[in-house]
Amino acid sequence: MTYGPKPWLQRHWDIRAATNFILGGTGAGLLVAIALAPQAAPGWRPMLALGLALIAVGLGAVWLEIGRKLRALHVFFNPWTSWMTRESFTALLVFALGATVLALDRPWTAQATGLAALGFVFCQGRILHASKGIPAWRAAGITPLIMATGLAEGSGLYLVITAGGGAVRALFALFALALVARALAWQRYRAKLGRGAPLNALEASAKWLLNVGTFAPLALLLAGLVAPQIAPAASMLAGAAALATGWHFKLALVTRAAHNQGFSLPRLPVRGSR
Amino acid sequence: MTRWVMIADLRRCVGCQTCTAACKHTNATPPEVQWRRVLDMEVGEYPQVKRVFVPVGCMHCADPPCMHVCPSTATRQRADGIVTIDYDLCIGCAYCAVACPYQARYKTDRPTFAYGEPMPSEAQRFDARRFGVATKCTFCSDRVDAGLAQGLTPGIDPEATPACVNSCIAKALHFGDVEDPDSNVSELLAENQFFRMHEELGTEPGFYYLWDRAP
Amino acid sequence: MKVKTYCYQCVAGPDLLTVKVENGVATEVEPNFASESVHPGGGKVCVKAYGLVQKLYNPHRVRSPMKRTNPKKGRNEDPRFVPISWDEALDTIAARLKETRARGLLDESGYPRVAASFGGGGTPQSYMGTFPAFLAAWGPMDMGFGSGQGVKCYHSEHLYGEFWHRGFTVSADTPSCNYNISCGANIEASGGVAGVWRHANARERGMKRVQVEPHLSVTGACSAEWVPIKPKTDPAFLFALVHSMLHEQPRERLDLAFLVGRTSAPYLVGPNGYYLRDPATKKPLLWDTRSNAAVPFDTPQAAPALEGGPYTAAAVEVGPDHEVLAQGELAGETAFSKLVAHVRPYTPEWAQGVSDVPAATMRRIADEYLSHAQVGATVEIDGALLPLRPVAVTLGKTVTNGWGGFECCWARTVLASLVGALEVPGGILGTTVRLNKPLGERLKSVRPGSDGFMAYPFNPTDREHWSAKPNIRNAYRSMVPLAADGPWSQALGPTHFSWMFLDQTPPGLPRVTLPEVWILYRTNPAISFWDTDRVGEQMARFPFTVAFTYTRDETNHFADILLPDAVDLESLQLIRVGGSKFIEQFWDHEGFALRQPAVAPQGEARDFSDIATELARRVGLLEKYNAAINRGVAGVALKTDRWDFSLDTGKAHDAGEIWDAVCRAASAELTAGAESQGLDWWREHGLRTKAFSRRDWYLYPTFVELGLRFELPYQERLLRVGKELERRLHEHDIHWWDTQLTEYQALPAWKDFPGLWETSLRSMGGQPDDYPYWLITSRSMQYAWGGNVGMQLIKEVADNIAGHKGVILNAQTAERLGLAEGDLVEIATPKASVRAHAVLRQGIRPDTLLLLGQFDHWETPFAKDFDMPSMNKLVPMSLALTDATGSGADVVRVSLRRAA
Repeated sequence: MTYGPKPWLQRHWDIRAATNFILGGTGAGLLVAIALAPQAAPGWRPMLALGLALIAVGLGAVWLEIGRKLRALHVFFNPWTSWMTRESFTALLVFALGATVLALDRPWTAQATGLAALGFVFCQGRILHASKGIPAWRAAGITPLIMATGLAEGSGLYLVITAGGGAVRALFALFALALVARALAWQRYRAKLGRGAPLNALEASAKWLLNVGTFAPLALLLAGLVAPQIAPAASMLAGAAALATGWHFKLALVTRAAHNQGFSLPRLPVRGSR
Repeated sequence: MTRWVMIADLRRCVGCQTCTAACKHTNATPPEVQWRRVLDMEVGEYPQVKRVFVPVGCMHCADPPCMHVCPSTATRQRADGIVTIDYDLCIGCAYCAVACPYQARYKTDRPTFAYGEPMPSEAQRFDARRFGVATKCTFCSDRVDAGLAQGLTPGIDPEATPACVNSCIAKALHFGDVEDPDSNVSELLAENQFFRMHEELGTEPGFYYLWDRAP
Repeated sequence: MKVKTYCYQCVAGPDLLTVKVENGVATEVEPNFASESVHPGGGKVCVKAYGLVQKLYNPHRVRSPMKRTNPKKGRNEDPRFVPISWDEALDTIAARLKETRARGLLDESGYPRVAASFGGGGTPQSYMGTFPAFLAAWGPMDMGFGSGQGVKCYHSEHLYGEFWHRGFTVSADTPSCNYNISCGANIEASGGVAGVWRHANARERGMKRVQVEPHLSVTGACSAEWVPIKPKTDPAFLFALVHSMLHEQPRERLDLAFLVGRTSAPYLVGPNGYYLRDPATKKPLLWDTRSNAAVPFDTPQAAPALEGGPYTAAAVEVGPDHEVLAQGELAGETAFSKLVAHVRPYTPEWAQGVSDVPAATMRRIADEYLSHAQVGATVEIDGALLPLRPVAVTLGKTVTNGWGGFECCWARTVLASLVGALEVPGGILGTTVRLNKPLGERLKSVRPGSDGFMAYPFNPTDREHWSAKPNIRNAYRSMVPLAADGPWSQALGPTHFSWMFLDQTPPGLPRVTLPEVWILYRTNPAISFWDTDRVGEQMARFPFTVAFTYTRDETNHFADILLPDAVDLESLQLIRVGGSKFIEQFWDHEGFALRQPAVAPQGEARDFSDIATELARRVGLLEKYNAAINRGVAGVALKTDRWDFSLDTGKAHDAGEIWDAVCRAASAELTAGAESQGLDWWREHGLRTKAFSRRDWYLYPTFVELGLRFELPYQERLLRVGKELERRLHEHDIHWWDTQLTEYQALPAWKDFPGLWETSLRSMGGQPDDYPYWLITSRSMQYAWGGNVGMQLIKEVADNIAGHKGVILNAQTAERLGLAEGDLVEIATPKASVRAHAVLRQGIRPDTLLLLGQFDHWETPFAKDFDMPSMNKLVPMSLALTDATGSGADVVRVSLRRAA
């Protein structure tokens, strides 16, 4: 196959890489949610384990994609400039802290884990931002967007699992804020997308993100507030919607909107005399 | 200091792909991997159309995004500007490939051959180290180094010069030290107007495109 | 280790390369850097040469001789080839040849029983070793079953170019040219290394090239200006340029001295269209302004009038067959005046209506041409002072063949004459000869003829010598006087006639018979000719075909025996290089280059020379074969009065012995007998040359020396030849060539050339409105030629250039038809259709479609999976579309729609 000169869809990072952003972001968001109100839900320990597991599965998916699997540890070699290295170290930190939480049963370690998880999803955003070859990834505003959706998905997942029970006000606030932040982050990101970014592939997902993934869940939360008997169902639905649209968006971002900028000529050659 | 750069004279290039093929010969790249290739670009609308042939490949940037993102330090930059890949360090994550604004990097997961089974010429040059890892144009650094060791001048003496430059039938490609004000490339840049690809991204590419004589 | 060799896969060569061999394996091709100082392309080789390693190791190669075991031949018949030994293969062939020879070399129709076809415009000769000696030893052979040569090549240019200025191929003097009007000459794709190198240098120097072509080719891309002309209307464009220079520009801008002194412009033309001749000497007359009288053209101190007639003179006007058409006080106009009158109607406005080129553009181009011509300027070349006229009009395929080819070649050469840019520095040059001898020395092929012009070996048209019994099936000797009768003439006749007449020989010619033995090498007519389905059907009827084979292909599919010859990197031969050859290969040096094995042949492939020797021996022609080699058929005469390296004619010599002798002779020739290095030396060095004077690029000094004039603008001789041919044909009741006879005009007129293709459509049962698109083709530099369709590397790199994956069409046309990039479309004539994927581009006229190259393979491994059609399936072999010199053109009117 021959490519170019018009932009074409990169195929180096496929659904396996997308899985890392999808599950990693959600897992980190879940850990942040738990950190806000640790021990608030009865099943918080398995939830924490789930958060760690999601991050691990995401990284495992990436591992499936690399060409030299047995050299995976080389990923730690460049903390000075590489956000992928930093993401890996942060993941280690998250696992370490998470393990201590599960072992020691101390609340502060849960908060530390949440902080580390925030750092993890921040690294994920920076990974994309440093990808100068893909206009849709390197755009300003990608990091807040990735972080916001991670938080929205994670807290959404929390709501799904707990059906709203065990979710204290702080958590609903986190969820609602994350939804709004996500919507605003999308607007800002979209406004700053320069030429060469394939808006079409993103616009479709973004529509879902805004309607089903922002307005609908917010409406459901409101409904739950007004009619407490439907609150558990509403919470679950809201969380699921936020989660699903976030995953859909990230999948599109990594596998369908990931066109490079091709090649361009600012000047044309003069062939002989004019 | 030294900085090796390449020049493509867009007024001369005819898109013949001789350099594309020569690179494949010298570097024994597998099918579909083209460290050097030439694009066929059309600009405008009928009948005001222009068609340009554009050699591309790794630009050996002064500020290479690939190097910054590489988690394993496999991608490095020599003092003379050539951006290198240590195949033994590379984990094949392809982060550099998505970080490169020039689409210059390749990763081949499995060995493939021109006709299915390897021909003797392919078997002879097969290098297992290059599968599952990132590969790209090296500015034929082994030729450059070997040539320098013998007192030859890269870009002037064929044995010390990248294969693509040697092969060009239009004399469109040039290679030399841009930090040397008397070098072939410095002269060409002084005498002509030029641009670099995607300059607004701040990568400081080491690949110049000539488009007209200097006024 | 680097082995030196040459590449001559296409006529733009030869070029020099080295092949790296590591542990007995060929790996890398590189330019032969040592040849940089003598090679006009900086010592480089083009992309195709890099495919030679894959060509060598291609697993699809036929690795041993094969014989057919399925007696039935057909596209859908599996030949069931089985491997046989070389002995069995050669014995079978020899037996067949001997049996055929015993019955006489010619059959009952007078045609040679044995036919041989070679492709590549003569380049196979640089790969077939000593096989030409076998052909010479055999005797008459029919080499006119074409695969496109003589028909789809630069045909009109070959014949008329060689007639007017010994220009079998005509090139701009690129190193010195400043303004080049190129009508479809795709020099960046077809000019090879030398062409590309020189034109790149020319661009840097500031040469302006205007590319006049229906699509924005690779060459158009690299030009200063693109003029999207309607297909087959180039004569109108060129005529309008002539008109503009003669009717809209002052005479002073022309090279009047050249016209008056070096052309037939001042010759007086009589009332019947023939020259006014001196009654006593029969020399053409011109009007001497000094003595105010008509005098023979070669009168010393005459000051001929260029125009201003009519002039009256006591003269005689001689027409065809020496008939005196008029005598006494006859009024005559100068040829120049006739030219001026002739082009009066061809205004730029008229031409705009025909060609779609704006009149203002044509006026500007004419003006630019004159501005760049530097009439009166001189330059010193190798110690001689020559005129400098740095303007050139070059022509490409589909312009130089088929109807309109004559008109374009004539107009182009007239344009050169108007400013004296003919065969001088900067102008147009003939680069080589193929119809006049000696082949290798263009200037020496110039001999004074009558009327002050060069002699030309026309095939006779007089009653005594014209014959309705052609020597070969395509009847060139009878039908095409300009094709001459040299070794190359067979392939320069109407080579499609051999195929067409098999089904029905037209009245007046002996019945065209099947060849009893057909030998072929480096040619694939079932792909590269027209009406390819039908060509395959005809091949299936040939009783015995021997195919020198690389891989299975669409033509050897119909063969009886396959012989694997050692390919480019496996075989041995010495060839001449340099001097002045095809396309842009005119060097400042001349000499020889060696092709030598980089590795041992794969499988049981054998060196062609060894095969030739063995065949000669088994057929009983060994003595004659060796004698031919000694005579020089292998490239150099082995015996001269100064050296003798001749072979013992009674022995069978192997390739090494033969080429060692040739090498010695070559060394001796280069050093005037002082040295005689053999094969060992040549293996090490690969190349040896001596100086070739740049003065010898130009015919002009020879003309001055011999006192000759260029036979332009008025084609009195062609008019006469045409009339005589008409009489001979009619005397033999042959009337099917009458339309072609109309091409024999002294001053060619515009005919509705595009209309001819509409007429052709109607004869196929279609209406032009239903087939509104012009389908054309263009060269793919990466593939053409050399069997490169089977190379994975070539396909891979070629795919970077637009058009290799489908049919190129205008993006607005596509939008109008609702077609998107990649959509499958059907392109059809009333008789046939092909399917292709749409490739949308801006650089093509909205009414034009383009299918690159010649694909549509169904047998050739790798290529048969390309999913790329060919226009060859759609183009009929048509007498109506054949011009007087026997050529046709790769153009056809088609319909376009989304494929169902």
